[in-house]
Amino acid sequence: MIDGTTVIDFHGHVGSWDSVGMIDNPTIMMQAMDSVSIDKSCVFNIFHPDGTTSNNATAAFVAKHPDRFIGFAYVSPIMPDRMLPELERSIDQLKLAAIKLYPHYTPFPLNDSIWDPIYEFANERELTIITHTGQEPTAAPKFLIDIALRFPKAIFVAGHAGNIEPYRSQAIKAAQSCPNVYLETCSSFRSPGVIERLVMEAGADRVIFGSDTPLMDPRCQIGKILTAKISDQEKRLIIGENACRILKL
Amino acid sequence: MNSLTFQPLVPVFDANIGVGHRHDRIAPFTDSSQLLEEMGRHGVSRALVYHVQGETRGVLNANETLFSWVENQPSLYPQWMITPSIDCLKQLEQLHSENQVSCVRLSNTIECKLPFVEWLYNDLLVWLSEKKIPLWISLADTSPLEIMETLSHFPNLVSVLVGAHYSHSPLIRPFLQRLPNSYIELSRFEGLGKVAELKTEFGTKRFIYGSFYPRYAMGPTLFFVHQLGLSQSELESFCAGNLENVLGMETLI
Repeated sequence: MIDGTTVIDFHGHVGSWDSVGMIDNPTIMMQAMDSVSIDKSCVFNIFHPDGTTSNNATAAFVAKHPDRFIGFAYVSPIMPDRMLPELERSIDQLKLAAIKLYPHYTPFPLNDSIWDPIYEFANERELTIITHTGQEPTAAPKFLIDIALRFPKAIFVAGHAGNIEPYRSQAIKAAQSCPNVYLETCSSFRSPGVIERLVMEAGADRVIFGSDTPLMDPRCQIGKILTAKISDQEKRLIIGENACRILKL
Repeated sequence: MNSLTFQPLVPVFDANIGVGHRHDRIAPFTDSSQLLEEMGRHGVSRALVYHVQGETRGVLNANETLFSWVENQPSLYPQWMITPSIDCLKQLEQLHSENQVSCVRLSNTIECKLPFVEWLYNDLLVWLSEKKIPLWISLADTSPLEIMETLSHFPNLVSVLVGAHYSHSPLIRPFLQRLPNSYIELSRFEGLGKVAELKTEFGTKRFIYGSFYPRYAMGPTLFFVHQLGLSQSELESFCAGNLENVLGMETLI
């Protein structure tokens, strides 16, 4: 908690990607969280397209520290028959709180109809979906406009807020066009003025702090918010209040 | 930590700031006073600055233009850009004869198509070694393979490896191990737990704070370094002391 605000990191990973040094060691993750007063981190495993393997790993990880981690479900349209049963299992039985999508691991753009069952599921249950967005052809944030307008009861969070231009501008436009689109901040491209621009053009109530832990250190990523030229109240919204609202915490 | 704002606890000397506009990228500041204002906002008291035109276009002009940024600005220290050309070495020798060279920075060898190989850079690196001038090399802009291979031929040359990305994480330990005169600058090095691992193995003297501004925002890495659980003296070393040592400056701490 920072200055009375519960701090939620909206973007974290379960699983190891050791070729780039990413190891999901909860002790090290929590040490970093503690040092900058992050209360809870949202985590998901995106390495298994069947969904089940990923979600079991996420649930097991969260079960060890349920007060510090919130698990999100993962499914992939490269195994389309698994999507709905696995979403039902992971939300209803494993109690995962939201859905993560990673279009870069598929040949399907986010607005391809193959994703629709996931969006319909989230829309019916008023769930949040965080999806990777960026320069990858399947992950362009402009696709969110098509989807978010069709599924207005679901909430869509643009992971990395498009990452770089012109995709960052697409993400901002999606947030401006759709009240159910939010922009998440983690990125290794820490260009100056980005947080300020997201706040100015999309509104602080639509920007959500995320770090990509343990791929990236949450201390550096929350530093983007705390050192940005924005007001304290805008910082409060970004580091936790918006996440608490959409996750109904 | 319980504050929505941040100011550094120790004097800060930024090892990695580019000034000027690139041919393809506009800087968020147009003169040294605007840069100093941003440094002041983040509590950065000194900075090593190079001109970004030298990253991918002419280093000769970049170095000439740099004078206008640093003159009468005691908190800005010039860093000269280099390529392996004879003209560049001549310019450097002239600057050195005027006692103006404390360090140099390699251009973007990938975009310039000037691979960092021994047979191309030998004369320059021999000269830098003889004059004890440290060399900044951007891992964002030069092949790690070439860095390791080429620096191995110049064991006395001090190097500062800047812009290491999280994807470079597995490479940094062997760099520090095999190149005992190398230092790691921290602007992009944010893999979880990686600095702590390296500090345990190599001590506190091999790390240098830099922001890589304006390619990157100035504040986040400085904030990050302050949250690493360092002692006061370690923090002073990370934020200024180690850089002062590399530059052969009398420490101000």
